[in-house]
Amino acid sequence: MNSAVLLSVRGLRVVHRSTGLLARTEQTAVDGVGFDIARGETLALVGESGCGKTTTARAILRLIDADAGTVRYDGKDLLALRGEALRRHRRQMQIVFQDPFTSLNPRHSVGAIVAEGLIVHDIARGAEAEARVARLLEEVGLSVADASRYPHELSGGQRQRVAIARALAVDPEFLVLDEAVSALDVTTQAQVLALLARIRAARSLTCLFIAHNLAVVQQIATSVAVMYEGRIIEQAPAAALFAAPQHPYTRALLDAVPVSDPRDRHVRIPLAGDPVTGRARARGCAFFPRCPHPLKNADCTTAVPPLREVAAHAFAACIKVHTNLETT
Amino acid sequence: MTALLSVDNLRVAYADRSGERQAVVDLSFSVEPGEIVALVGESGSGKTATALAIMGILSSNARVGPGSAVRFEGRDLLTLPERELRDLRGRRISMVFQEPAAALNPVMRVGDQVAEVALVHGERSTTRARDQAIAMLDRVGLPDAATRYRAYPHELSGGMRQRVMLAIALLLKPALVIADEPTSALDVTVQAQVLQLLLELQKESQTAVLLITHDLGVVAETCSRALVMKDGRLVEEASVDALFHAPCHDYTRELLAAMPRLVRPRVVA
Repeated sequence: MNSAVLLSVRGLRVVHRSTGLLARTEQTAVDGVGFDIARGETLALVGESGCGKTTTARAILRLIDADAGTVRYDGKDLLALRGEALRRHRRQMQIVFQDPFTSLNPRHSVGAIVAEGLIVHDIARGAEAEARVARLLEEVGLSVADASRYPHELSGGQRQRVAIARALAVDPEFLVLDEAVSALDVTTQAQVLALLARIRAARSLTCLFIAHNLAVVQQIATSVAVMYEGRIIEQAPAAALFAAPQHPYTRALLDAVPVSDPRDRHVRIPLAGDPVTGRARARGCAFFPRCPHPLKNADCTTAVPPLREVAAHAFAACIKVHTNLETT
Repeated sequence: MTALLSVDNLRVAYADRSGERQAVVDLSFSVEPGEIVALVGESGSGKTATALAIMGILSSNARVGPGSAVRFEGRDLLTLPERELRDLRGRRISMVFQEPAAALNPVMRVGDQVAEVALVHGERSTTRARDQAIAMLDRVGLPDAATRYRAYPHELSGGMRQRVMLAIALLLKPALVIADEPTSALDVTVQAQVLQLLLELQKESQTAVLLITHDLGVVAETCSRALVMKDGRLVEEASVDALFHAPCHDYTRELLAAMPRLVRPRVVA
């Protein structure tokens, strides 16, 4: 393992269970997910609704329980942490959620929201906490005067800046950004993305960036993992993934992004069907029912394709890609 | 060519606790038959209020200002009696909403919701309305339409529900469809399917589309002309090509600069 690796996830599995009156249902939301994030790197976890990207992040942060797998942070086994040790660890890893309308307590002032982590983790109190809050608000492009305002007085972009300041208050090394810019208008989104890039560089943060918008991911990620139905189906350095996507799902995902210039309009064959979630998964490749170019023989339907290295640092879980590699 | 829809000096104001808030100010534009026009803007720009005013379905705290006119096929929709408006809606002019889960009736079979459009507009035979609905559900790509006719909205995926919405909106081949963020709630691969379907249906029935969106990519992909709104006002109107290559207004330039652009791979098949 690379010594610079900060977060290392292996075989992560999360099963959502619901107990109804008549039946218990189980749904494997995350199934054998593994990846490494090196210090200073930003890994983007991308995929469509229900693919398990948010569940993966929540399990890593210990906001929900994992059913199997290991998560190591700086060598420490996160899934084994309990009580006080877990509480202390939370300072290292913070999260910014998608919706700043629901993730900020409407009854607390901006100052109280940002200061909470300082107090909970016994970092600062009183005048010292106030001074820190003022510096944090300035760091995220707000003013000291905003500390006395309440979330409903702020725009969506300002609220997201408050959420970022709150996450930074405890001086974390690792930041999870769960669709942190997805709910923002496009001009605000560009500003908040620029802010995140600045803060990441200034604080040497390591990030897990969860997003569905590939154009946004391309701007900020150093590497990308594509999820489909609870599994990573392709992972590569960002430049490689965008230049030469290997898995047919990744290709379809990139092709489905609308053009950014009307002169680039082209005939495309959209991927048929929906990402199927919540159903019993077939034995073979989960993408097989939608795959435009499955193999003629039965390989695609008999076994789950493993994530295998197909180029330097690039991994894909597609039997056809693997086969092509062996025959050339 | 006479315009299919012409909006003149439209003003819409919402009453709230602090008085009145202008949502749309002196908005004028027109839509030609068969044309796909984008109405672009960020949240609060007044694009949805414009759509609701055209359809005559503004909420009760909204007021259309004096001097406003919305002419559609020669009639002023703002002064038309409700009975005549009801006759136009669904038959000559229809609407597709962002959230099909909220727009569809949750306790009515999706097929019946499509057939209802025909029955409300003069079809006497329930069998014929049903057949028409099944044919349309099949056309919008609902797999196994005859069986899915009996499904309830919650049994369908988001993409399938939006296909049902398109079936309802386009069943009677209206002259104009107002689509308010029709693909914003959908995943990108499903968005591509639904946009393509909308374009096919538009071509088949020669329907004009007023496509309301915040997504310039959707505009680049589908529209021929675009209207840009900011704070209730129209700030730029241009062909889509001119809008992307020679924007006139600073705000349009700002929007284009902020638009996340995917640098595309050269995929070798």
